[in-house]
Amino acid sequence: MPAWEPPSGYRIPAWLRPPETMIPGIVPVELLVARTDTHAVLVSDLRAYPTGLEFAVVARPHPDQLHRPRHDPGRPRHPRYRDLWMELRFADGRTVSTDSRRWPRTFETTQPDPPFLYYHGAGGSERGWRSPHWLWGLPPPGPLAFVCRWPAGQQPASGVEIDARLVLEAADRATAVWPAERSPA
Amino acid sequence: MSFFEPLPAPRPPSDYRVSAWARGPEGMVPGVVPVALLVARTSTHAVLIDGLLVYPTGFDFDLVVRRHPGQPRHHPDPRGWHELRLEVRFADGRSADNGPGRWPRPHRDKPPDPPWLYQSVSGPDGGHVWLWGLPPPGPLTFACRWPAEQIPPSQAELDAGLVLAAAARATSLWPDPGPS
Amino acid sequence: MSSSEPPELPEEPSEVEYRRPAWVEPPADVVPGIVPVELILARTPQRAIGLTGIRAYPTGFGCTLHLRLREDIPGEQSTFGAFNMFGEGVDPAGEFADWYLRFGVGFADGRKATNLDHKRDLDEIPAPDPPTLWLVRWEGYDRLAWEVNVWVWGLPPPGPLAFVVEWPARGIPESRVEIDAGLVLEAAARAVPIWPDPPGR
Repeated sequence: MPAWEPPSGYRIPAWLRPPETMIPGIVPVELLVARTDTHAVLVSDLRAYPTGLEFAVVARPHPDQLHRPRHDPGRPRHPRYRDLWMELRFADGRTVSTDSRRWPRTFETTQPDPPFLYYHGAGGSERGWRSPHWLWGLPPPGPLAFVCRWPAGQQPASGVEIDARLVLEAADRATAVWPAERSPA
Repeated sequence: MSFFEPLPAPRPPSDYRVSAWARGPEGMVPGVVPVALLVARTSTHAVLIDGLLVYPTGFDFDLVVRRHPGQPRHHPDPRGWHELRLEVRFADGRSADNGPGRWPRPHRDKPPDPPWLYQSVSGPDGGHVWLWGLPPPGPLTFACRWPAEQIPPSQAELDAGLVLAAAARATSLWPDPGPS
Repeated sequence: MSSSEPPELPEEPSEVEYRRPAWVEPPADVVPGIVPVELILARTPQRAIGLTGIRAYPTGFGCTLHLRLREDIPGEQSTFGAFNMFGEGVDPAGEFADWYLRFGVGFADGRKATNLDHKRDLDEIPAPDPPTLWLVRWEGYDRLAWEVNVWVWGLPPPGPLAFVVEWPARGIPESRVEIDAGLVLEAAARAVPIWPDPPGR
């Protein structure tokens, strides 16, 4: 079987996405990272690969929020989900964040040193908002914290810690469906 | 009997129709917003929004890339035009963007929640965009970034009242019921 | 559709928010229990289909299909015929198309739900009998790797729970992998509400 060849044309760089010939290992948690009376933020669909971790940041309103008339002045202003950013804290003290001011300027053309936390846009409506994230590089063993932050203190930062072993064991379960390409470009 | 039998009954092939929420209504003449909005400008590139054509259901516009006339036109970078990110934001916080494919695909029988952005044409000079849904009054923000061409996150605002007024000017081509 | 038909307006938010039926998507106010399965349902030199990550709720479960394509096939339908969203599923001969990916779940009591089931109106009353299978989300970074997020409304009875695929045009005959439904039922029992107090009405 010939080694897999990537198609021609633009490809998202390999360090900004999961490996395309693999099925992930599933990290068996869904995390409630923040919760107020009106909204919740979750980290879900955690999929681990040898090169990193994919997950979705999901923000949802309390169901009561959806019952209020849109123009009700008593309707609480919801946080702008789009302004939320994620930070991951590793056991060795390193942190990575989707605050793009902290990204190396050449990250889209030059492979950054892991770890690097990226997100592929976001979408949704007031009924729910979802943003796919990709952590390039796996965390070291020990505690792994997922923290969400809003700029200008719109909401206090809030987070959840898991044992990175869950991620590392899931990464070991990821499987290649075809032989990988001979060598990276 | 196989797990998937009975298969759905074959239906006569129909003309392929783009879903009603992915384009403007064909039976209408849009209202025009006579504005060209400069969203970003660097020493080499500019990104504009123009050609806003508004219907009661949403609006079309062109996303236009211009290069400084003095710039030599280099060989198109295959990375380039894929990475021109556009986001449209309503005053009430709702937004839609042309992210790289990771947006929900609407079920064919149920429109997506507005706003929903569909870029039907993409190329090195920008493209054509349809936005499903009309904005509420207030600022209507067009935001873009284009790292491959060193355009940082940039944005410009339009008064959504211009869009809403143009929607009210849209007219039907055939006001009477025509042949079925 | 005649061109004189009035344009469809976008849904305006109403005083009472439109509630999607329970069989369309998982409950938004529940954190699911996760079953970390990773299955390869089918693999050919050109196509592979994986299934991972069962997310279990009291009312049903979600899972993710991973489609992996070794290469683009020029002229192939842009949707790969997978969960045909905009087309009719009919090939030029008028038959149900071979390029349409078939996927379904089978319960131990014989009930099943597939992506070929009658397409329903969301307003349908009464609700369909469980199980039902519904496409929630379909994402990909490019044409070679796709994730299809599926919601199955209705929990399986104890016994084998089967995941079945078939993709005739891509050389994948009917292929089946079974897991123990008990894993899903235990995970459903681990689901917790996001907000501890019931929402007011």
